[in-house]
Amino acid sequence: MNAALRAEFLKLRTTKTAAGLVGLAVAVTALMATLEAATAGTGRGMAIPSLATPAGLRDALASTGFALIAAAVLGTVITAGEFRHKTATGTYLDQSDRTRVLAAKAIAAAAAGALVGLTAAATATGIGLGFAAARGYPLALSAAIIARYGAGAVLGAGLLAAAGAGAGSLIRHQVGAIIAVFAWGFAVELIVGGTATAVAPYLPYTAAALMAGVTSGGGMPPIARGVTALPFSAAAAVLAGVAILLAAVAAATTVRRDII
Amino acid sequence: MRGGAPAAAPRARLNGGGAGAVIEVRQLTKRFGAVAAVDRLSFQVKAGTVTGFLGPNGAGKTTTLRMLLGLVRPDSGQATIWGNRYADLGVWRRKVGVVLEASGFHPGRTVRDHLRVRCAATGIAFSRADAVLEVTGLDGLAGRRAAALSLGERQRLGLAAALLGNPEVLILDEPGNGLDPAGVAWLRGLLRQLANEGRTVLVSSHLLAEVAQTADQVIVIDHGRLSLSGPVSQLTTAAEQAVVVRTPRAAELRAALAAAGAAVRELAEDRLEITRADTEQVATLAAARGLPIFEITKEAGSLEDAFLTLTAGERRPG
Repeated sequence: MNAALRAEFLKLRTTKTAAGLVGLAVAVTALMATLEAATAGTGRGMAIPSLATPAGLRDALASTGFALIAAAVLGTVITAGEFRHKTATGTYLDQSDRTRVLAAKAIAAAAAGALVGLTAAATATGIGLGFAAARGYPLALSAAIIARYGAGAVLGAGLLAAAGAGAGSLIRHQVGAIIAVFAWGFAVELIVGGTATAVAPYLPYTAAALMAGVTSGGGMPPIARGVTALPFSAAAAVLAGVAILLAAVAAATTVRRDII
Repeated sequence: MRGGAPAAAPRARLNGGGAGAVIEVRQLTKRFGAVAAVDRLSFQVKAGTVTGFLGPNGAGKTTTLRMLLGLVRPDSGQATIWGNRYADLGVWRRKVGVVLEASGFHPGRTVRDHLRVRCAATGIAFSRADAVLEVTGLDGLAGRRAAALSLGERQRLGLAAALLGNPEVLILDEPGNGLDPAGVAWLRGLLRQLANEGRTVLVSSHLLAEVAQTADQVIVIDHGRLSLSGPVSQLTTAAEQAVVVRTPRAAELRAALAAAGAAVRELAEDRLEITRADTEQVATLAAARGLPIFEITKEAGSLEDAFLTLTAGERRPG
């Protein structure tokens, strides 16, 4: 397992994919956090809460919605990319235990996803607090809550990336897998969240978003009103369960397929 | 070296296999839908030999090799290395070097990093990456991304990866594809060198000439079935031999030979190529008819002829 893990981390370090997605996530997060913070306390018809209020500061600090989806995309690329570039042959020649390879990929994806979440959360927090301080507002959220949003972004992004690795193993077509991730985030969860608010917290993106305090979207559709966040540990368990379920289904089906 | 090189030859530690056979394929069968890609194929590759694995495109060579390497699941039969399935070789797997396809590289990863990833996955020291780059003449391209490599350079990179574990067995699928004439000559030299070092090499090709000069043994398959297995000389024997005659009375000799049951082909106005008759029969017949012969030679059939004869069945696309 150690060799497989070492190889997976080295793969991540030796292409621009992971760094590119981290950079994209940081850029989009910075844009969204800046927009949230700059427009906070303005608006007429749909007033945007001020950074002096907990809701206003939260919306700026928790602009990590896109980063969560970027982490999931990174996970799919880690597995489906092997088939796109036909590197799966070498991978399975070096490590014949395909389930072990998948586990190594899921762990590497989780670590890389967590890095995406960490950088995005740090960016959004820095921008949000910077704007609040520049306007002379007292801190409207406790340090514990801010830390929890950050931890939620890190853990949520990590687990979504692991789930993405499972999805990529199932779909195997890289572009198809990326489209599936975005379609899930932008369409399926949006529709389900709007129609079945009791179910929505158990959906992976919504669970991760609520862990990270994301409500207004952060580059993704906002979480539907009326959706109540699960307790932090329960949301993490839901995400871990989704990641394990996808990996288990992939291990039992597509991962066993012939490599032609 | 991380993980360390195996101290003893794998065959001494594993389950043996056939007498002297490193690779053994028994009744291997794989169907894709209605098509039998490999059909009850059996052969052995002996230790320390270079074996050409030949067949036209679509004959089932790649599918056979992929089954041998655990990438494709056979419908029935088995394929083993040192008496074990490839998946069960454990750390000895690094002693099996494999080249399967030229396109298996992430385009954004450099040549050196590609090799380092393979080192990391198999517990081989990174220093081996630089060593095999030198062996394969890629040391000047170590920092180049795979996307910028020519097909021939990608083949060399594949070979470099195969050599990382200082393998005792090499399984190479069409390693000459994309190589220019100098590259083909280099490949021949490399195969010869590997053979001289006592390594076992199984090299597939649809181009006989590519391996005929270095192979000790050949395995010829067609439509997934074994056509021939034996020394290269057996392939030459399988080729039909011809007699070439130069005579000013070619038409008369041709008629006489045809009447005697020989097959005759006109090469020129005064030259005939005769099969199904040897030189003595042709000369005796000509003498009996009073036909002058200025030149008579026996021509051995080429390896290509033998190959085509053995695989003369219906060709498959691809």
